Amino acid sequence: MTTFATKKDKKTLIERLNLFTALALGAIAAIIVWRISLALLPADSESAPLFTREDKITLLSMIAWFIGFMTGIGALIGPFRWVQGKDLSHEENMFYAGKDLGVKRYFRYTTDHKVVGIQYLVITMVIFGIGGILAMLIRTNLGTPGGGWIHPQAYNSIVGTHGIIMIVGTIIMVTGPFGNYIMPIMIGARDMAFPRLNALSFWLIVAAAIPLIWAQFIGGISTGWSAYNPLASQAPLGMNGYIMFICIFAISTMVAGANITTTVVRMRARGMTWNRTPIFIYGVVASVALALPAFPVFFLSQVMSGMDRALGTSFYNTALGGSGWLYENLFWIMGHPEVYVILIPAVAALMEMAPVFTRRPLFSFNVAVMGIAGISGLSVLVWAHHMYISGWAPLLNAPFMLTTELISIPTGMLFLVLVGTLWRGRLWMTVPALSIFALLWNFMIGGITGIYLSDVPADAFLHGSMFVTAHFHYTLMGAGLTGAIAALIYWFPKMTGKMIDKRLSWIAFWLTQVGFNVAFIGMFFVGLQGQPRRVEAYADIFSKGNLITTIGAYTIMIGMLVLLHAVISSWRNGVKAPMNPWQAKTLEWTVANPVPLENFDVLPTVTSDAYGYGRKQS
Amino acid sequence: MSDLRSPEQNYFQGKWWKRKDVKQVLVIWVIATLLIGYLSSKLQVLAMGNPASETMENVIHLITVFTWASSPVAGFVAALALQALSQKRHHGDMPPPEADHNISSSPRATAVWLVISALLCLFALIVGLIALQKDDQALLDRSAIHVNVTGQQWAWNYDYPGSTGVRSNVLHLPVDQPVVFHVTSMDVKHSFWVVQMGIKIDANPGYMTQTAVTPNEIGTFDIRCAELCGLLHAYMQNKVIVESKADYEKWLASQPDTGNTTWTAEGAIE
Repeated sequence: MTTFATKKDKKTLIERLNLFTALALGAIAAIIVWRISLALLPADSESAPLFTREDKITLLSMIAWFIGFMTGIGALIGPFRWVQGKDLSHEENMFYAGKDLGVKRYFRYTTDHKVVGIQYLVITMVIFGIGGILAMLIRTNLGTPGGGWIHPQAYNSIVGTHGIIMIVGTIIMVTGPFGNYIMPIMIGARDMAFPRLNALSFWLIVAAAIPLIWAQFIGGISTGWSAYNPLASQAPLGMNGYIMFICIFAISTMVAGANITTTVVRMRARGMTWNRTPIFIYGVVASVALALPAFPVFFLSQVMSGMDRALGTSFYNTALGGSGWLYENLFWIMGHPEVYVILIPAVAALMEMAPVFTRRPLFSFNVAVMGIAGISGLSVLVWAHHMYISGWAPLLNAPFMLTTELISIPTGMLFLVLVGTLWRGRLWMTVPALSIFALLWNFMIGGITGIYLSDVPADAFLHGSMFVTAHFHYTLMGAGLTGAIAALIYWFPKMTGKMIDKRLSWIAFWLTQVGFNVAFIGMFFVGLQGQPRRVEAYADIFSKGNLITTIGAYTIMIGMLVLLHAVISSWRNGVKAPMNPWQAKTLEWTVANPVPLENFDVLPTVTSDAYGYGRKQS
Repeated sequence: MSDLRSPEQNYFQGKWWKRKDVKQVLVIWVIATLLIGYLSSKLQVLAMGNPASETMENVIHLITVFTWASSPVAGFVAALALQALSQKRHHGDMPPPEADHNISSSPRATAVWLVISALLCLFALIVGLIALQKDDQALLDRSAIHVNVTGQQWAWNYDYPGSTGVRSNVLHLPVDQPVVFHVTSMDVKHSFWVVQMGIKIDANPGYMTQTAVTPNEIGTFDIRCAELCGLLHAYMQNKVIVESKADYEKWLASQPDTGNTTWTAEGAIE
């Protein structure tokens, strides 16, 4: 049984499991548990709060789905063998790594980091596609003052779903595809430290997606992505989908964080000291290491939220001794490090590209590392600036204002590194190079508006307005997504073996950047005029700004569709890429296209940093 | 290239300020700073409209100050970026020739950058603390009248002091009279935002939060809920009417006594 079947006998269990068995087993498990709990759970007593029985049934079915799906994909085989005291044989491990499986390996529990990287890339694009469609629904609804054609309940749900899936999409957009595919090659390793955990982290995201889709059919997430209590406790059953989604996604993030951190600390090539480790690696590690303290708190906050709904506890119910402020604290203890989880790797990716496209060394590597470290350290101390006006602790406003404004210093260091690298370089006008300028522009606006918001009296005016929405879109989308798209174009030749269409990606870049700035400068304007966030209708004075924003949003959409077309068409029949099209000096460009299964025949030895561009001055 | 990052190079030797690229940066810097500062502060003031209290005047002032304080930084980054773009740009599929230097750090530039950003940060902090202090003091004003604000899905109600049970869903306030709001909610979290007066405080179920303001303009202004509170959040808004003291007294006297007040003699509100 435990030996790996090659030709004669029937297929072994490992060979049979794939995405389809996972979906089937998950669905069967959910249906069985649903029927059983429907039959056995007692009716609520008169005094019990609303929904409790239905909440229990929904949550139990979702948990059953989760366990069924993970069993069906094969996540439990390794642990099960370990309990039996046997481990996987070499052949089984190679099968797991996707050896000789062709396209099928993308639909399996495949441990090869390159397969996981591509899986992450595709799921990130799917997430952005869905989130983008929701954004267009929002903007279309807000095109006219009356709001109108979307029902308020559906509108609130669209806003919440757009928020949470874009947050998830941006969290994984750099550390997922590039942190998995590129990072191990860049540090000269054959795979991640824990290949099976790598597969686990990806399939957990797929498992998490279904409860979120499920939620849309049982009332939706009508609370915004922050799901504040007590609003969340009176929200419809869809809230349980949100809770399950967050819990599973938090596990995925923690698993990926532990895996990537260990890989970088333990598996860098011989000679790759911390001084010679590329700056992108620092960005990825800072991002996932920040997620390690942040996401357990998120997990916890949602478990308590689920218990309040299903079991009648009162963590967040003021009338019964709890407090909504507890939820806000837990949420933002995750929520603020989380924005840097998104931002840091994207900026680090552009810092990695800056020397390549200016043909000169990275300016002040040490300052870049200090900036990343400084932001990471401070970012866990600033969460309550989201709660200045919540009334929770007015006396703490001043200290949190201090920590928040201090972050501008390490953030400034990142700017110094980028402009310093542009200074006296030989500019190679590619889309990644243009993205550096776009990032400087967008991140500058996002950063300075952040200073207004960090200031308590100004925040008393701006908090909860469209100004905030515009601000974080400037940082997460204007800076973060710009960096991620540049990273996609930069590493596309290595990941797909094809060059991305130059003209199309150029058009996409300009459409998205111009559309983006039109959309969100309009949004700043209505925010300053006094339009609250998350409203489906607004007064006439806001109509001009909203119309501008909607026009900008459509421009972004066209740009994104052009980019999608460029990616798909180039991937399918683009020009074959040379091994090192950018003449860059990091290790991932020293391996052949397509990258062989274990990356390197002979592990490389590193003797210098990767930024040895430019001619020495005598 | 050697292990160690190359040491500081000759950036600042000789008359570095006379170099062509440095001069270009300086010129663009000045222009960009003025342009950015002027345009964005103009746009911001235009958007925020006419203030109806000193608090809001301070907010507008703060934002303008921050804009002007940060525009040199934005201008400098813009100058370096534009200068880089104005150099010879290379198109094509093969990389351009290497740069003519391999400078990889400059302790002096880094030090200057750090000191300046630390000073700007300190400046922002001090300006903010002073404004915050003013707002905090307003809460303690003994001459203030008190209004209880109750949020519920999806309306605001205002209970007035002095009288036994005046309750209104339109806020009336006398001009130039300090007022302290005691804000709470009956169901979920709301946020009480008097837009043109620049104050906002969350309404939490089971807790009482305070904020204070002195309206200084007669007119009708907007109150909106600024925290997503369910189905009709977008419609949870009404007006505040600021009127002369005499008009206010007349209005208060004309209101029917609802008999149930949230006001107690001690000034504590339950």
